[in-house]
Amino acid sequence: MADSIAEDPLSKKSAELVGWNRFDWSGLPGKVVDVLSSLKLAISLFIALAILSAIGTVIQQGESSDFYIKEYGEPLFQWFQTFGFTDVYNQTWFRAVLGLLIVNSLTCFYKRFPGIWRSMRQSQINVSPTFIAGLKQHAEIPLDRESGHVAEQMIDILGGKGYRVSAKRTDNGISVFATKGIMGRVGAHVAHVSAAVIVLGGLIGTVTGFQDFGIGLPGETYYIPQGDFSLKVEKFWMDYYENGAVKSYNSTLTVIDDGQEKLTKTIFVNNPLVYNGIWLYQSSYGDHWDRIDSARILIADKGSDQVVSDVMLEWGTPMEVPELGLTLNVTGFAADFSFDSKTKQVSSKTSEHKNPAVQLTIAEGDHRFNPWLFVDFPGIIDIPESKYAFEIAGYLPSKYTGLQMGRNPGITIVWTGCLMIVVGMALSSSIFHRRLWVNIQPQGTKTVLHFGGNTHKGNIDFTREFSAFTERIKGMA
Amino acid sequence: MFTSLFLFDLTFWLYLAAVALYIGFVALGRTGLQLAAAGPGQLSTSDWSAPVGQLATLITVVGLFVNTAALSTRAYERYQLTGAFAPWSNQFEAMAFVAWAIIVGYLLLEFTYGIKAIGAFVVSIAFLAIGAASLLPYRYQTAEPLVPALNSYWIYIHVSVTLTSYAAFAMAGGLGVMYLLKERAERKGLQSSVTTAFPSLETIDELGYKAITIGFPLLAFGVILGAMWANYAWGGYWSWDPKETWSLIVWFIYGAYIHARMTRGWGGHRAAIYAIFGFLMVIFCFWGVNFLLSGLHAYA
Ligand code: HEM
Repeated sequence: MADSIAEDPLSKKSAELVGWNRFDWSGLPGKVVDVLSSLKLAISLFIALAILSAIGTVIQQGESSDFYIKEYGEPLFQWFQTFGFTDVYNQTWFRAVLGLLIVNSLTCFYKRFPGIWRSMRQSQINVSPTFIAGLKQHAEIPLDRESGHVAEQMIDILGGKGYRVSAKRTDNGISVFATKGIMGRVGAHVAHVSAAVIVLGGLIGTVTGFQDFGIGLPGETYYIPQGDFSLKVEKFWMDYYENGAVKSYNSTLTVIDDGQEKLTKTIFVNNPLVYNGIWLYQSSYGDHWDRIDSARILIADKGSDQVVSDVMLEWGTPMEVPELGLTLNVTGFAADFSFDSKTKQVSSKTSEHKNPAVQLTIAEGDHRFNPWLFVDFPGIIDIPESKYAFEIAGYLPSKYTGLQMGRNPGITIVWTGCLMIVVGMALSSSIFHRRLWVNIQPQGTKTVLHFGGNTHKGNIDFTREFSAFTERIKGMA
Repeated sequence: MFTSLFLFDLTFWLYLAAVALYIGFVALGRTGLQLAAAGPGQLSTSDWSAPVGQLATLITVVGLFVNTAALSTRAYERYQLTGAFAPWSNQFEAMAFVAWAIIVGYLLLEFTYGIKAIGAFVVSIAFLAIGAASLLPYRYQTAEPLVPALNSYWIYIHVSVTLTSYAAFAMAGGLGVMYLLKERAERKGLQSSVTTAFPSLETIDELGYKAITIGFPLLAFGVILGAMWANYAWGGYWSWDPKETWSLIVWFIYGAYIHARMTRGWGGHRAAIYAIFGFLMVIFCFWGVNFLLSGLHAYA
C-alpha cells in the first residue's frame, strides 16, 4: 500500500491469509491501483480542489474581456485566458480533478470495503497475551476467581454494553473477542460511493436536461417546445412589507395542453410549478421595454397654448375625447428609443428606460397620425396638420415576469447520493469501531486476565470506556 | 424597540465574565500547584481555583440561558414584524447563534469530560463572536424583513445546520491554539507555565479531531440543504455562487484533514496548526465572502 492506514497488523495479515489479493485487476498494474486508492492522492485532491475553487471566487467568472482588461490589465488577462481562470468551473482540468477524486474514492471503496465487510462476519478470537500487551489500551488483572466463571462474567459485561462477543477455549486459556461500531466504518464507505452517485446524477442532468429563461407578460400565452404545452400568464403582481420593501412577487400561470386548461397555479420565489417534469420558477421581474400599461397625455390647444385636456390611456384601448373631436390610443413604446433608418423600424436599444418614447395613434377628423412622443423631451414633436400639441405626462410600465424553467432528470439521483453521503457521514462520525480482546488464564483456582483493545478513532472516548470496563472487571464479585 | 438587543448585550457581558473566570481558574491552578510544591500542609491559593472554576461554569450556563432568551425574543420580534421567525437571518443574528452553538457544545464537553481549562479558549471564541456582532452598525443589528428569496422555511434548517458546523470548527480552532500553547510551555519546562491546568496534549488533540468529525458532516448537510433550497427557489442546485463555493472549499479543507488523520502519525502539532488554519477559512467564508465577494448570500 502506498500509504499507511492506521490498521493493526493483525487484520492486514488475516486479509492476506484469506487471500483478498487474489483478485486479478484485469491486468491493471497493481501500482496504479495502489496510487489510485491511496490516501495521499485523496488528500492532495481535496487540497487541489480547494485551491482551484478559490481561484474562481477571487477572479470574477464569465465577465466580458473589457471587464478583465480594465480590472487586471492586458497581460494578466492573457494569462487568465491561457489557463481558463475566467471560467474555472467549466475547465477540463477542473473537471478532471473532480473526476479523479471520484475514481480515487471508488477505488478506495473497492480495495478496503471488502475487508470491513468480511470482519463483520468473522472474528479474530484467538490472540496471545503478548498481542494484547502490544495494544494501545491494555491491562493485566489478577482475579481471585475460577477462570470459567470469569469468562462468563466477561461475556455479560461486554455483551451488556452492546458488543458482539465471541469466546473460545484454547490451549492457553479462554479467549474472548468483542467488537462494536463497525457501522461507523461502513458509513465512511457509503460516503465514498455516494460522491460518485452525486456526480453521476449531475452528469445525467446536464446531458439530458435543459435550463432556460423567459419573460412573460400578463395576458399572453407562450408555447414551451421542450414540454409541448403552452403557458398563459394570467397575472403578475408584487407584495410589499409595511416599510415598502418587496415581500414577494407572484405570477398566476395556467398550463394549456392539447387546447385544454390543465392547471392553474400562483408561483412565487420558493414555490415553483411542475408540469410534465418541467419546473417553472419565479425568478425575476422587470419593467418591459416595448410595452406599457397606461400613459397620461396632456393635450394643449396650439392657438391658445392652454392645456385643454388631461387623459389616461390604457395600452391598445382607443379612447374618445368628444369635446375635442379626437380618438387616442397608445400603440407603441420603446424604453430606449432607437430608429433604424433602413427598415424604418423603431426599437429599444437596451432594456433600460433611458429614453422612453410612446407612440400615439390619433384620429382627428379625417386625419390619422402616429407620432412617437419622447417622455423626456416634451414639445419637440409637432404635428403640423393637427390643432393640438400632445405631451406624455407619465406612464406606467408593464411588469414582466421572469420565469426560469428546466427539466433535470438527474436530480433524483443527485438527492439520493446526497442522502447517502449525509447518512454515511453521520454514521461514521457518531459511531466508531472498537475491538476488545480478552485472554483468561487459569492459575489454580485463581485467574490472570489480559484485557486489551483498540479503536480506529475516538481514542478519548475509548480510553474512558476501557477504564470503566477495567474497573468493573476488578470489582467482579 | 428591540428587547432582544438588550438581552444580546447582557449575553456579551456574561460571556466576558465567564472568560475572565476561566482564565482566573487556569491562572490559580498554576499558583496552587507551585505552592503545593513548596510545602504540604500549608493552605494554598489553589483552594480558590475550584470555586472560581465552578463560578465560571455557572456564569457560562447563565450566559447560555440569556443567549437563548435573546434568540427567542428576536425570533418573536421577527415573527411580529415579518411573519417569519428564524433568528439567524442576518450577520448579527448569525453570530449570536454561532456563539450559542459554541457554548452548547462547550458545556456538553465540560460536563462529559470534566475538563474546565478548555473554557478559557472556547468560551473566548463565543465571546469574540458575540462581541464582533455587537460592533456591527445598528442597522445591521435590527430585524429587517427578508428579501423574497430568503423568505422560506428552508432558511430555518439550512442556515442553522451550517452555522452549527461553524461552531464545531470554532471549537476545533480554539483547541488548536490551546494545543500549541501547551506544547510550547512543555518545551520550556512545566513549572513556569500556566498551562499545567490544561488537559494532556493527547486529550486536546483528540477533542479537536472530534470537533472536526462533528463539523464535517454537518457542513456537508448544510451545503446539501442549500443546494436543495437553491433548486427549489431558482431551479438550479449549484451555481458556483461565492458563498456556496466557499462552503465547499471549507469542506474540502476539512476533508483533507479527516483523511490525513487516517494516515499513521498525523496529528498533534500539525493537526493543531491545520485546525487553526481551517477555522480562519471558516471565518473568511462567514465574514470575508459577505463583505469582499459578491453573490446571492451577501444579505448583510
Ligand atoms: C469523495 C469524497 C469523499 C468523502 C465525502 C469521504 C468521506 C469520508 C468520511 C466521512 C470518512 C470517515 C471519517 C472518519 O471516520 O472520521 C472517510 C474515511 C475514509 N476515507 Fe474518505 N471520503 C472521500 C474520499 C476519499 C478518497 C478519495 C479516499 C481514497 C483513499 C478515501 C479514503 C478513506 C479511508 C481509507 C477512510 C477510513 C475508512 C475506514 O474507517 O475504514 N476517502 N471518508
